[in-house]
Amino acid sequence: MKQRTKIFNGFSFSLLLLLSALFLFPIYLVIINSFKSKFNIVGTPFEFPNEDTFVGIENYINGIQSSGIVGAFFRTLFVTVASVLAIVIFTSMTAWYITRVKSKFNKIVYYLFLFSMIVPFQMVMFTMTSVCINLGLNNVIGIIPVYLGFGSGLSVFMFSGFVKSLPKEIEEAAMIDGCSPLKTFFMVVFPMLKPTAITVAILNAMWIWNDFLLPYLLLGSTDKTLSVAIQLTMQGAYGSIDWGGFMAMLVLAIIPIIAFYLVCQKYIIKGVIDGAVKG
Amino acid sequence: MASISLKNIKKTYEDGVTVIEDLNLEIKDKEFVILVGPSGCGKSTTLRMIAGLEEITDGEMYIGDKLVNDVSPKNRDIAMVFQSYALYPHMNVYKNMAFGLKNRKVPKDIIDKKVHEAAKMLDIEQYLNRKPRALSGGQRQRVALGRAMVREPAVFLLDEPLSNLDAKLRTEMRSRISMLHKELQTTFVYVTHDQTEAMTMGDRIVVMKDGKIMQNDTPQMLYNHPQNMFVAGFIGSPQMNFIYCKIVRNTDGYYAQFENYNIKLPDRMNDALSLYTDKEVVLGIRPENIHLAKDTKKKSFEMYIDIAEMTGSDYYLYGKLGGKNIIANVPSNMQIKSDTTCSMLIDTDRLHIFDKVSENLICD
Repeated sequence: MKQRTKIFNGFSFSLLLLLSALFLFPIYLVIINSFKSKFNIVGTPFEFPNEDTFVGIENYINGIQSSGIVGAFFRTLFVTVASVLAIVIFTSMTAWYITRVKSKFNKIVYYLFLFSMIVPFQMVMFTMTSVCINLGLNNVIGIIPVYLGFGSGLSVFMFSGFVKSLPKEIEEAAMIDGCSPLKTFFMVVFPMLKPTAITVAILNAMWIWNDFLLPYLLLGSTDKTLSVAIQLTMQGAYGSIDWGGFMAMLVLAIIPIIAFYLVCQKYIIKGVIDGAVKG
Repeated sequence: MASISLKNIKKTYEDGVTVIEDLNLEIKDKEFVILVGPSGCGKSTTLRMIAGLEEITDGEMYIGDKLVNDVSPKNRDIAMVFQSYALYPHMNVYKNMAFGLKNRKVPKDIIDKKVHEAAKMLDIEQYLNRKPRALSGGQRQRVALGRAMVREPAVFLLDEPLSNLDAKLRTEMRSRISMLHKELQTTFVYVTHDQTEAMTMGDRIVVMKDGKIMQNDTPQMLYNHPQNMFVAGFIGSPQMNFIYCKIVRNTDGYYAQFENYNIKLPDRMNDALSLYTDKEVVLGIRPENIHLAKDTKKKSFEMYIDIAEMTGSDYYLYGKLGGKNIIANVPSNMQIKSDTTCSMLIDTDRLHIFDKVSENLICD
């Protein structure tokens, strides 16, 4: 019995090791190539930088100096932070309301949120883009409600699951203690939702930060976000691409989101477990 | 300080289920009233209606002189202690207790004074900086009591506050809550399904079943003079024995007859029993009113002991009288073994006789 468990553990460990290698390999490629000169990247993409090919941080300097990257970075930061804040605040309130106030209408609303999760973006992107442009949402502020819409399905689903596990008595105690519904939410319910709120924030931040298609369609080349800017700026004339700068900018683009993830990861695990065990 | 008055209260839930049909209850100022009954009898619903957490479908509810049907919980001047404590998990003990006062914009120094006073009274002063999850069940319950106390409400509502505690703590908290009532001199309404809690704590007990009040009286009256079989069976442990028997009239009075036993009933019952001659009734006898017969000359009867349970000061004897299961409670000063036969005596002065159909008391 013990022997079998050992074999099984060894097997699953090697499988997971292989999987993480598969996932980490592209990131490894991007990082090593960001330190190589652009001619060596195309020729020997898998080679570790050596004396001949190593160019130091030249690629990074070139990348940053090329037009629009810094602006794009702060624009993306603004869009991500604002959208994530909007998603966390609005969807947690929605989930609380539709979970606590039982009515047919609320049930339908809940299922609409669930349904929105399974509709692929590509299915709605053209109609949605034209509606958004007509509504004047094709700017940095206007894209925030669009992200709120796309992010709310999963977020409402996650918050609802957690709200269901919260004892209602705590909210009733707050009501007796003199809280209005709004105050009950912000002083009592929202602090209890913290683990889920952080999980929702991480999931949405990663997706919005890395998103290419939606900002490309709505903001185009006027208000470029980071992913759009890297794609458009590094692409020179006649299809020539500065691969070195490209790689360097990709490294810079993933650093903030990985840092954010690392800071919050202990909460994401807690959030997932809380929902699973109590729900 | 306030009295509570429930007039023709009705509660129907949205799905059409009526849990309370027509409830009338007066609770006096400073009284400690216990609502007791089995699960689903509507006691918690009644308490939640007093708190304002459940809407009242019909009828009128007064706290003091004020009609409160449409008054929100925060404006009813009540405090509630929940079974699950319902402490705010992200706040420490101090903040938990101060929260209600802060919402009412009480000055900080007064909040501080009140919280410390309550904490001292409840022995939780050393935990003021701790979060609820770092406290034991009993400590959490005391914080919940403290949170209610600092508000100095007119009415204290307690919804099975001791159910989540272990037996020893429960006994300790029971006396603590009784002490608290004495010191605070406020109206207490306490819900429980535990009849021991009800008997030991309340000035008055309201026994409920299926949304109706079965009896509303002092603990002594409930125990000694239950008005129906439900109350007789619910209050007291072990439960009262019920024996179905026939009333027979002889020259020297009335007898209760079952199988080949005849029990002479006291003469004071004669008037009440005249209507029941040759009819079936239910005889109620508390286990402690069945004694071991030392003097066999008296009219004793034989009881076969299936199990003799020794509880310390008493024996609970589970046995058979004729074909009927009977429990007797006798002092443990002599050895009694299972699977033996003992001579027993019934204390006829403490008999209760109930109508078989309506289950109401005929006489006792």
